Amino acid sequence: MASAELRDTRRRIKSVQSTMKITRAMELIAASRIPKAVARVEASKPYSAKLVDVIRNVAGASGGASHMLLEERPIRHAGVLVVTADRGLAGAYATTIIREAERNIVALERSGIPARLFVVGKKAKTYFEYRKYHVARSFLGVTDSPGYGDARAIANTLMEAYASETVDSVDVYYTRFQSAMTQIPTQFQLLPIAAPSSDEVPTAVDYSYEPSPDQILDRLLPRYVESTVFSILLEASASEHSARRRAMKAATENADELIRVLSRIANRARQAEITTEISEIVGGAEALVQQK
Amino acid sequence: MSFQVDIVAPEAVVWSGQADFVVARTTEGEIGILTGHEPLMAALATGVVVVESGNEKVTIGTHGGFLQVLNNQVTLLTDRAEISVGDRADALAVAEGLREQAEAAGEG
Repeated sequence: MASAELRDTRRRIKSVQSTMKITRAMELIAASRIPKAVARVEASKPYSAKLVDVIRNVAGASGGASHMLLEERPIRHAGVLVVTADRGLAGAYATTIIREAERNIVALERSGIPARLFVVGKKAKTYFEYRKYHVARSFLGVTDSPGYGDARAIANTLMEAYASETVDSVDVYYTRFQSAMTQIPTQFQLLPIAAPSSDEVPTAVDYSYEPSPDQILDRLLPRYVESTVFSILLEASASEHSARRRAMKAATENADELIRVLSRIANRARQAEITTEISEIVGGAEALVQQK
Repeated sequence: MSFQVDIVAPEAVVWSGQADFVVARTTEGEIGILTGHEPLMAALATGVVVVESGNEKVTIGTHGGFLQVLNNQVTLLTDRAEISVGDRADALAVAEGLREQAEAAGEG
């Protein structure tokens, strides 16, 4: 009996050890991707910052410019974009943001506004489809290392939906990357583009335009949406890698602890087995002596 | 007198520094910018941007985007840009390459 317990425990130790090898490898892979992802977030900042500057100046110069993407209209259908991961094993990364989004979708529908759902990442797609939500469009395979082209495709889908009045607003749910330790689930209104608050409006610049201001604005605003989606994707990607590293680190530590406990059990079982054997031998010898 | 030039693409800053003279290609045609240029907002076409500072000359192939001149600062927000080695013709080839990339990616 004792030897069966020993064998079982040793088998479990082996299985935990091989799991630990996997989680440690995943931890290292995730850790090696974080710096690159963070560097890409940083590298994309000059463009979006300058773009915002330029849009403010142009909007200020053309005297409260009106554009379809800027105009608020009554919301009959709310667009919701949820950005999650394609793969799991990242702790509560996907669940947190999905829950946040679902809560708002439910709140919207309760107030009589149907939500139209766009998702990035397989996690959100399977979650919402399993719960019988209609997913208008899903984008898979982009979160690991998002390119500007991915952002453009997503932005265009959303802007088309907005232009055709399929949706009257677009809110994005994603995980903002603050630092390697802190990532914050965030809601962001993408469309209509929120006008800069009044105290930020700069003194009007008297530009000369090539071509006309309207045409410039017509090209600028879609770029702004694209670049915003791009930075959202990059931040989400950095957050995902951080969350995965943390989850895998915890898993590795748990495995380590489990192995310690199991080895103790195995050792005790081995010792008990030896003790039994010795007492059997001693008992046998005793019996022989008494027979003589 | 020189002025600040920043050439940025969505994924990175392509070139940044002081320059005396910038040539760029807008949708309306080629323009040259010297220090003290009036405020300008222009849409960029596919073409070559030449940045001159002193004896140095940098050629950059660009595709799409915007050019802003404001307070002696020139900002080029390009869709795609790549520094090219060689003369104008090489840079133009780079720019054409960028346009083909963009078209292959299904961009307007």
